[in-house]
Amino acid sequence: MTQTNITWIEGAIVENEIHMSIVELSQAASTSEELIMAWVTEGVLSPTGSSPQDWRFGGDSLSRTKTAVRLSRDLEINTPGLALALQLLDQISDLRAQLVRIGNSSKG
Amino acid sequence: MKFKDYYETLGVARGATEADIKSAYRKLARKYHPDVNKEKDAEERFKEVGEAYAVLKDTEKRAAYDQMGSNWKSGQDFTPPPNWNEGFEFSDGGFGGGGYEGDQSEFFESLFGRGKHRQGGRGGHSRQDQSMHFKGQDHHAKILIDLVDAYNGAKRTIALHMPTLDISGHVTTQERKLDVSIPKGIKAGQNLRLSGQGGPGMGEGGAGDLYLEIDFHPNPIYRVDGKDVYLDLPLAPWEVALGTTVKVPTPAGTTLELTIPANTIAGRKMRLKGKGIPSKEPGDLYVVTIIATPPADTDTQKEAYQAFEKAFEFNPRTHLKG
Repeated sequence: MTQTNITWIEGAIVENEIHMSIVELSQAASTSEELIMAWVTEGVLSPTGSSPQDWRFGGDSLSRTKTAVRLSRDLEINTPGLALALQLLDQISDLRAQLVRIGNSSKG
Repeated sequence: MKFKDYYETLGVARGATEADIKSAYRKLARKYHPDVNKEKDAEERFKEVGEAYAVLKDTEKRAAYDQMGSNWKSGQDFTPPPNWNEGFEFSDGGFGGGGYEGDQSEFFESLFGRGKHRQGGRGGHSRQDQSMHFKGQDHHAKILIDLVDAYNGAKRTIALHMPTLDISGHVTTQERKLDVSIPKGIKAGQNLRLSGQGGPGMGEGGAGDLYLEIDFHPNPIYRVDGKDVYLDLPLAPWEVALGTTVKVPTPAGTTLELTIPANTIAGRKMRLKGKGIPSKEPGDLYVVTIIATPPADTDTQKEAYQAFEKAFEFNPRTHLKG
């Protein structure tokens, strides 16, 4: 067997280490800055900072924004509808986490 | 190639109106949307429904599809008749439906050709201004790792399949291998950003980034909730009654000695602090006791249970007042 030197690519965990500007988030989630602004107004996303230029989105915003992009595009839902859908999805994911904690007894 | 009955996919009659088709599609799209439906086949169903709708909502495509006749059954071997679409004029070359782009079935492609594929895979939007410098597209992919990789970190070679446009404008899938270091402490649902591993930039813009969304392979022993991990620990009735010490495997691959105090009840959660997924504030490992009762098969075993009964005046149903 020949020994080859592999360079392992190191990544950064988005949720722990990265705060994104609106420009970076729009690039990473392939959506427009206008939509992101509308979602912030609706409370779908909660960046820190007072104006769009200073906004910093926490790492969790990326997967949330990606979900928002898919739902609004695929199901053509408007912003208030999207906000409701995401809130309900959050509730479902909390319930799923409860099922995980309960374990076997929940499976019957 | 198998025939696809698009009417059957949407659950509508061949004579359905445009409004019927639209509402059937919307209903199924909501039901099977992969962000909403976590069943394994949801994404597949969502694509099928999107493909069916792309054909049936389009008057031209629907007419062409209809003229193949109604004798075809879903799943039947199918080859498009020569010149099957002669005399039909399609105003768009490609796939215009809901659903993820670039995922049409072979059946769809044989009839309507391959769609204009958007750069960068699903959901990508490309900017066309030639005079500007743009950072390349960010790409996204999902990868599955083992729970132990989150505990210890790991080095993995992953294969990604990327749809790309060739010179003639056809979509081909390229395989790309990446050697990735999985950082210790990563959790399911988190994203790993690999700088500069996305699409190439334009002008002086750098390459985009690659985001890997992490999920764990299902594990037969452990359940994971965020950074906390749960393990069901079966114990014999005498072990919980008298107390014992048992060996418990941890997801990191080590073994812990766990003391079970006497008179431990079923469903007791014992927290092993900091033995969950590691991070600055590590998660906990919860060991949940389960009582496993052996069946009484032999006479000796039956006698043992009878002795058990005699030794206790125990009615587990007092609260039922039975």
